[in-house]
Amino acid sequence: MWRRYGDAIYTLVTFAVFGFETLALGALSISFLLGRTTGIASTPVEGVLLATLTSTASALALLGFFLLGYHFTSTLRDRWHVEQLDAWTERWIGLALEDTPAEQIADGSMPRRLPRAAVDAVLSLLEVVKGEEGDRLKAVLARHGVDRLLLRHLRSGHLTARLDAIESLGKARLPQAFDALLGLLEHPKPVVRRMAVRAAAGTLATMTPEPGPEGPGGRFTAALKGASLKSGVAQESLLLLETRAGAVLRDLLAEPDLGDRLRWVALETTGRLGLADMAGEVAASTTHPDPELRAAAFRALHRLGSVPEDTHASLLDALRDEVDFVRVQACHAAAFLPAEVALPALEPGLGDDSWWVRRAAASSMARLGDDGVAAVTRAAETHPDQAAREMAVQILLEAGVLDPAGARLVKGVA
Amino acid sequence: METLRPKDARILVVDDERVNVVLLERILEQDGYTNVRSTTKSEQAVALYDEFEPDLILLDLHMPGLDGFAVMERLEDRIARDTFLPILILTADIRPEVKRRALSAGAKDFVTKPFDRTEVLLRIQNLLETRFLHMRLRPELASEGQAT
Repeated sequence: MWRRYGDAIYTLVTFAVFGFETLALGALSISFLLGRTTGIASTPVEGVLLATLTSTASALALLGFFLLGYHFTSTLRDRWHVEQLDAWTERWIGLALEDTPAEQIADGSMPRRLPRAAVDAVLSLLEVVKGEEGDRLKAVLARHGVDRLLLRHLRSGHLTARLDAIESLGKARLPQAFDALLGLLEHPKPVVRRMAVRAAAGTLATMTPEPGPEGPGGRFTAALKGASLKSGVAQESLLLLETRAGAVLRDLLAEPDLGDRLRWVALETTGRLGLADMAGEVAASTTHPDPELRAAAFRALHRLGSVPEDTHASLLDALRDEVDFVRVQACHAAAFLPAEVALPALEPGLGDDSWWVRRAAASSMARLGDDGVAAVTRAAETHPDQAAREMAVQILLEAGVLDPAGARLVKGVA
Repeated sequence: METLRPKDARILVVDDERVNVVLLERILEQDGYTNVRSTTKSEQAVALYDEFEPDLILLDLHMPGLDGFAVMERLEDRIARDTFLPILILTADIRPEVKRRALSAGAKDFVTKPFDRTEVLLRIQNLLETRFLHMRLRPELASEGQAT
C-alpha cells in the first residue's frame, strides 16, 4: 500500500513464506489429528495444541489469500484508472485543440459529475497548456462544477482535502479561485500558506493584467506583504509569476514600509530574473541601513549588469563599507562603472583584509577592459601587499592573461 | 538522409509524462508534421536519436533516471560539430539559472510549461528553418573550404 516499487516481488515473497508456514502447520495439524484418531494425541493439552495449530494455519492461509487478492485488485484498479486517464486525456486533447466539437464532448455520454480520472486528466493537461486551449479546458471544469467543488474543499476542515484542493487549483489556474487562494495566505499552517501562494502566483501569471491596487497584481502584492512566508517560498512565488513578476516586484520595491525580509526577496528575485529596467528601483536600497539589504541591492545590480548614474556615489562609498560582504558585492557591481571611475576605487580593495573582497576587486578590475587588465598586472608585480599580488596573479591566470609559467615569472619578479 | 521540407522534418519528443507526449504529438500532427517519434523513457532517447536522426528534439528537463541535461550530454558526442541540431526544452522549471544551464548544455530554445500552442509551433518552425538553412549552406561552405 505504501510502497511504490517492488509490489509484485514483495507479494510473491510474502505469499511464499506464508504458504510454506501454512503447509508446514497444516501437515503438523494433520499428523496431530491422525495421532488423535489412533489415540496418540488424546490428552486435553494436545487438543489445545491442535486447535492452536489449526487456527494459526487457517489465519496464515487467510492472510496470504487476502494479500494476493489485494494486490490483484489493486493492479486491476490501477490499470483501469490508467486506461480511463488515457481515454479522458484523448477526449480533452480533442476538445482543447478543437479536433472534437464541444457539443460532441458534452453529449449524453458525458456524466454530469466528472469521474476522478476525467478531472485528473484535465488538470494534468492544464499543467502543460495555456492560452485558448487552456481556457477551453478551464471551461470544462466550470461547466461540470469542478471549480465550485474545489473551492468548497478549500474550506474543508480536513487538512488533506484542503491541500488536495489547493494543489488542483494550482494546476488549473482558475481566476475564480484567485482571491480564495490569497485568503489562505493568512492560514496558521505554513504548508497551507506555502501551497496557496504557489497556486495564487501560477494563477496570476495567466490572468489578464489590470493596473492599480485593486487589480489582481495589486491584490497579490498586498497579500504577500501581509503573509508570513519563508524567504525561499516568497521568492519561488515571485518566480512563478513569469512575465507578471516585474510589475509585482516594482510595487514591492516602491513600498517604503516593506519588511526587510520581503525587500531582500524582491531584490534577489529582480536580480535573478535579470529585469534590467528595474535597476533604478534596486538602486534605492543600496543605502539601506541593513547591510544584508545593501549587499542584496549590489548583488542585484551586478546581475542586472548596470549601475544607474545616480548610484555611482553610493557604490563608491560601499567599496569602503564597514561590513565585508557589502564590500564584496559592491566590488562585483563596480565592474559596471566606467573604467576611469572604477579602477582607482577598486584598487584599494586588492589589499583588503578579506580574501573575498580582494578576489572580487581583482576580478572586477580584470573585467574593465585593457586598462583593467593592465592595472591587475601592475598589482601582480608591484603591489606592496603579498596577498594582493597573489590574488592579482590568480585572477590573471583565470582570465587566461597569464599561463602557469608566466604566473611563476611574475611571482618571481614580485 | 536529409529532409528539407519543414513539415517532413523528423521530430523526436522526449518527456516522461505521457500526457505531455500525447498532447505534443497531437499539436504537431494537427499542424501538419507527419514525422514524429516520441518516448517517455529518457534512457531510450539516445538510441532513438541514432535510429531516427531527428531534425529537432523536444526535450523535458526533469525526468527520472536520465534527466534532460544528461540526455544532452550523451547526445553531444553524437552530434557532428558542423551540424545544427536544435534542441527545444519544454519544462515547468522557472528558475533562470536552470534556463541558463540548459542553454549552455546545448539547448537552442526554451519554453516554459504551461505553454501556448502557437508559441511552441512558432519556435519549432523557427528552429527547423534555421536547421534547413544551415543544411543548405553546408555544401557551399564545404566546397569553399576545399577551394581555399
